[in-house]
Amino acid sequence: MSKLSSITSNPKISVDSTAPRMRSNRIKATRLGSVIVNDYWSDLFAAKEQGKKVIWYNGTYIPPFFHAHDVAWVHGEAWSAYLAARHHEGDAQAAGESRGYDRELCSYARTHIGQALMDKKDLQDGKIDAQSAKGLAISQLPLPDMIINAYPYCSSGQQWDEMIYRLFDKRVPIFHVNVPMLWGGRKDATYLAGSEMDEKIAYVSRQLRAMTDFMVEHTGRKYDWDRLGEVMSFIKKSAELRLEAMDMCTATPSPASFFDWIVTIAHVNFMPGTQRLVEFFQAMKDEIAERVANGEGAVPDEKYRLFFDGMMNWNKVGWLAEKFAANNACVVAGRYTHMSFWQEPQAIDLNDPVPGMAHNYLACPNNSGAPYMIGEIDRLCDKFKIDAMVMHVSRTCRGMTNSQHLIVDSARKHDRAALFFEGDVADESFYKDELLNTRLEAMLESLDSKRAMVA
Amino acid sequence: MGLTYLLFGVHPCMQRRGVHSRMESMQKILGRFAAVAGDSLAYAREWKERTGRLVIGSFPMHFPIELAHAAGALPVIIQEADDPITDGEGAVFSFYCGYNRSVADQALKGRFNFLDAIMFSDHCVQLLGTADIVRWHAPELPILFEQPVSSLDMKWALDETRAVYEMLKKDVEELLGVTVSKEALNASITLYNRGRRLMRRLYELRIAGNVGLSARQMLHVIKSAMVMDREEHTALLEELVAQAEANPTQASNAMPVYLSGHLCQAPKLELLDLIEETGTIVVGDDLYHGYRYIASDVPETDDPVAALANWYIDKNAKVPCPTRADGDADWDDFLLRDVQRTGAEGIIVLVAKFCEPHMYYYPEIKDAFDAAGIALLKLETEHDSMPFEAFKTRVETFVEVARRKRSVAAA
Repeated sequence: MSKLSSITSNPKISVDSTAPRMRSNRIKATRLGSVIVNDYWSDLFAAKEQGKKVIWYNGTYIPPFFHAHDVAWVHGEAWSAYLAARHHEGDAQAAGESRGYDRELCSYARTHIGQALMDKKDLQDGKIDAQSAKGLAISQLPLPDMIINAYPYCSSGQQWDEMIYRLFDKRVPIFHVNVPMLWGGRKDATYLAGSEMDEKIAYVSRQLRAMTDFMVEHTGRKYDWDRLGEVMSFIKKSAELRLEAMDMCTATPSPASFFDWIVTIAHVNFMPGTQRLVEFFQAMKDEIAERVANGEGAVPDEKYRLFFDGMMNWNKVGWLAEKFAANNACVVAGRYTHMSFWQEPQAIDLNDPVPGMAHNYLACPNNSGAPYMIGEIDRLCDKFKIDAMVMHVSRTCRGMTNSQHLIVDSARKHDRAALFFEGDVADESFYKDELLNTRLEAMLESLDSKRAMVA
Repeated sequence: MGLTYLLFGVHPCMQRRGVHSRMESMQKILGRFAAVAGDSLAYAREWKERTGRLVIGSFPMHFPIELAHAAGALPVIIQEADDPITDGEGAVFSFYCGYNRSVADQALKGRFNFLDAIMFSDHCVQLLGTADIVRWHAPELPILFEQPVSSLDMKWALDETRAVYEMLKKDVEELLGVTVSKEALNASITLYNRGRRLMRRLYELRIAGNVGLSARQMLHVIKSAMVMDREEHTALLEELVAQAEANPTQASNAMPVYLSGHLCQAPKLELLDLIEETGTIVVGDDLYHGYRYIASDVPETDDPVAALANWYIDKNAKVPCPTRADGDADWDDFLLRDVQRTGAEGIIVLVAKFCEPHMYYYPEIKDAFDAAGIALLKLETEHDSMPFEAFKTRVETFVEVARRKRSVAAA
């Protein structure tokens, strides 16, 4: 039985034949991925019962270190995204606001901090019914035994965990990994290379090793470096398969879209490195290869190829997937999906994975000075034959909105159109649907006009 | 309060003392500071033309400007400009703080073209984006950046800071084609420490009520220090402090208040005037254009780069910065102590709109002051326009509340 048919026959996955027909032709293998994610959350919710220590962390994809040490982990952003995707973020954000956290603050942070506040007070006070769907979703999150922050580029991301630390009255030990920006000002600087990169890899590597000492101190167990190598073997293979699958989207029509990659962010970001993860990305790659062979596209009647810049609007994943598909626009690639997670697996030496992991953490696209980041975006746009850019201006994520005007400046020099639309990562109130509708329509019309002139 | 106050920003205390000739000397110095603070780039351009030396711009808050000074350049901390954001609208979104929007605007207007370089060393995510905008639009202007450690309580913080500062020193030397000797760097440190001590002396005199400097004037003292030739500024300061010490004023009976916030840009002068026109007198602050800038001296040792690294780490203990992660530093506790130290009866928190570090910490500050029963007022400030009439009403109410708390406490 192939991996694909195993999805539809798996009793855990239901296929609703009465659902309305969607315009976007989503990769079916992503449903296999849903099982992995659901199992992760279920295991997390049971961690304390199983006697596991729990680390709350934010920033870059350091879970392999936790996995190798057999501790459970919660990525604050992922938890905020989890709530937002289920539309349960409202109460957590309201708790944050009533405490005095301004709405203009990172909505990931507000949701997570609000969650911590609610766990501390509101559920105990019975203000939310712990048995309601909202209550259950929110109260299941286990409280931390350790806090680790490893945030490239974004100062707010680092402060976020400082606030969590203070909310827990400084009783939960905290550790910071500084992932410094690659400004690229030295004479030998190129994209992810040069003396600055070499120094920063060494610096981040030292901190990562110190982080393992921190975990040893607070768990009382020796760190198993062999286990880290083993975990990383699955992560590395998964990353390679993912990149190979992405590369196939140079085909026209593109067999997969940005939204297929978005729903696999969790897997490449914080899922355990196991054979199951490898099989998932293999299934993705196999399905994409099959679509290329059959000329099947993620958008059945692809007329436009777009690049999505900015953070994802987690409240609107399905909504946006359908919107673009309905306009025959395939969002083929994006900064968040194509430049942000284990993009350089070749740098990882499984016998000594730490420097290669540090290399990848430094490769966060925002962490490179704008000329280098934008050079890479332009290269991807050329590779995937992009017609135009869709710039998601996430109101409370300035780490991602920095340089967006410059990205558009460069895109226009490369004869690519661009539109901006307002939204946010986890606060739905900032999203303006009608503005996107109007601007998207206008941009696609302008593409049509340009094509007609050329023809 | 009188025409003299409006024309010269002189606090009424100074008028009552009738020290006309000494006032003239002090007013001349304060006028010089005000003029430089009012157009820092014009000062820097004139200095460059006059001396033939280089001018290096820098962004707030943590760059060790002694390095640039020791290399023979004029270090200038780039200020928020007064003009509305126009060109910058196409570079930075409206939900960024006024400082960043103004810097981008100034860059696009070509105001930085005369600078020989910009050097900075910070962590604020908005500033990193703005620096990239400047770099994009002014590709001929060298912009040098080394990121310091931002989590100050990690074991490697001091060693890593030292390494970053060694790299910055090397960058300055390569850029200017000089070698910065240990002696030159120590001399710069000594000079800057002298300036900081003199400015702190003015703060001490203000707390004691012995110098009638308005909030506006004190800001000019600090802001001009950020941009002026340090030898020139220090010489004027020496005279100013000497005059102030020789002619102590009587303490004002206005209600003493403390100003907190504004971590990068100067509060608008009109706002400071408004606050003091409601019957208050500012006796202390932790503004960047205030005590935060002068609180910590660099140790004078035979290893000046290490000394600068120690300064960077240690200053957070003196005046905590919310942009640093430091489990041992509690900004709310610091503010409670400092309000008490200065004798203030209330605190006005100036939050620059969209300043994320401040937005994160503000709830704790508010809770701490509510618990301590000290009057607190938050004013959210903006670059382009502010509702001054509404602010006036709120400050007046705040003053009444603070006075009522004082009466209750006294009873």
